[in-house]
Amino acid sequence: MSIEIKDLTFVYGARTPYEKKALDNVTFSVNEGESVGLIGMTGSGKSTLLQHINGLIKLKSGQVKVFDIDLSKRKPDLMRLRKHVGMLFQYPEYQLFADTVKADVMFGPINFGMKKPEAEEAAKKAVTLTGLDWEEIKDRSPLELSGGQKRRVAIAGILAYSPDVLILDEPTAGLDPAGKKEMLDLIASLRKTTVSTVITVSHNMDEIAEYCDRVIVLDGGKLIYDTTPEKLFYKEDVSALRLHLPHAVRIVKLLEQKGIVLPHDILTEDALVNALKEYFLKGGDHA
Amino acid sequence: MRNVAFGQYYPTDSPIHKLDPRTKLFAGAISIAAAFVADSYWAYLACYAFLFIVILVSKIPVFQVLKTVKSIFAIILISVILNVFFHDEGKVLWAWWKIKITVGGLLYSGQIILRLMFLVLSTSLITLTSTPTELTDGLERFLTPLKYLRFPVHDVAIIMSIALRFIPTLMEETDKITMAQKARGAKFDVGGPLARAKALLPVLIPLFVSAFRRADELAFALDARCYNATEARTKMKVLRFGWRDLTATLCLALFLTVVIFLRLGFFGLL
Repeated sequence: MSIEIKDLTFVYGARTPYEKKALDNVTFSVNEGESVGLIGMTGSGKSTLLQHINGLIKLKSGQVKVFDIDLSKRKPDLMRLRKHVGMLFQYPEYQLFADTVKADVMFGPINFGMKKPEAEEAAKKAVTLTGLDWEEIKDRSPLELSGGQKRRVAIAGILAYSPDVLILDEPTAGLDPAGKKEMLDLIASLRKTTVSTVITVSHNMDEIAEYCDRVIVLDGGKLIYDTTPEKLFYKEDVSALRLHLPHAVRIVKLLEQKGIVLPHDILTEDALVNALKEYFLKGGDHA
Repeated sequence: MRNVAFGQYYPTDSPIHKLDPRTKLFAGAISIAAAFVADSYWAYLACYAFLFIVILVSKIPVFQVLKTVKSIFAIILISVILNVFFHDEGKVLWAWWKIKITVGGLLYSGQIILRLMFLVLSTSLITLTSTPTELTDGLERFLTPLKYLRFPVHDVAIIMSIALRFIPTLMEETDKITMAQKARGAKFDVGGPLARAKALLPVLIPLFVSAFRRADELAFALDARCYNATEARTKMKVLRFGWRDLTATLCLALFLTVVIFLRLGFFGLL
């Protein structure tokens, strides 16, 4: 078990007129190798939840355990926790600060105790993993890179200290469609090679459907669904959450109204095309 | 989302909140005057009684108001220490070299504490009961006469309100960047002063970059809407001096008169 969360409750500004319950009795756990999608409207408590997993907010009520680090104990080892759990914030390009890409990517590894040559080696590996050319980019200022490149550098800055869990807060926000696709493919390939456990926050249900094998839905600080994308999009009524269903799911549902019944596990464009091919090859009757 | 800062606007539906910001700024001036006119414990009793009534009327929990004193704790401490040891008046209780503790010194230090606390409490009541926008509006009106001296009153007001508007945004941004760097293993509370100052760079640099970016975007947005600060602009919320403000002003006048009379010893009556 990588992450275990039990009865987690968090209130901002307790006993003031600005009091707000951000998390309300949230319980779930994440196993090694899982790709979990976290969805919910703005203000549903996603960010607060993620910050707890990285020990960035002081735990007030409930339990958070990441590997063997128990945050409900006194003085948990936060540095070790943060080395294990790499967290990419929203718009991570705004946190780049060093003069050169090299120095910025080396910031994490050095903080976590690596020696300089070691850190540089790790930085080189991480930057190459994200698909950038190390020799070409290492001495440039992060400020003069393009948006997509900056984001890759930010991800490299996290991969450089080889975390075991990756938390991504809207990794595709603000990128153009091609940039989005590249980012998602990068995350998918990272899952195969470097970090197997990933938690992704996204507002794009197509991304969730394609890249996650489990979804957790928060609403008003409460965990309301913890299920597979197939079940969430086909069985549950999510209209109240103002979620757009993935395009493939919408097409399957529309076809069903016209009498073309396809299996209820289609989540992606590719799966839909294959299912349709099979349907028509078998000579499924249509009006 | 942050925990409430000291003296930050505290919304309730009290008559004090509904006062014209100009009245509240005026009240601030009166309180400052009263704090310096007062020179006896009786006068401070009057000041605190008045303050207490205002807090009750404002419906703000007393401890929220009292919390604001924390911010000047160090100043109070230093001035009390200086006065206890160096104010030489009345019976000497303890002496060493040139340092003496006297009865007069102790009494005077007590008054200093009361005066400083009163200044902070009464002025923070203004910020607790009015939004930053209201305050800039009020200030702008007070500064209007300076227009005749070619002082750009409206420009200054808009600069102030933009600055105030962006304080929470920048605080939030600081929070976010701090968290992001902490997630990358940054430590802000170890080492000597130099190491700590250096540790802040990964937060300060992105913060400045983003502040400039925001300023640029805001300037474009103002330009795109043909913003022009010099022409006569109307207000969305027109300030009105109403019966509440009249009552408040009268109360303030009465309060200041009492404090002045206490200083003058009620012309020998007391």
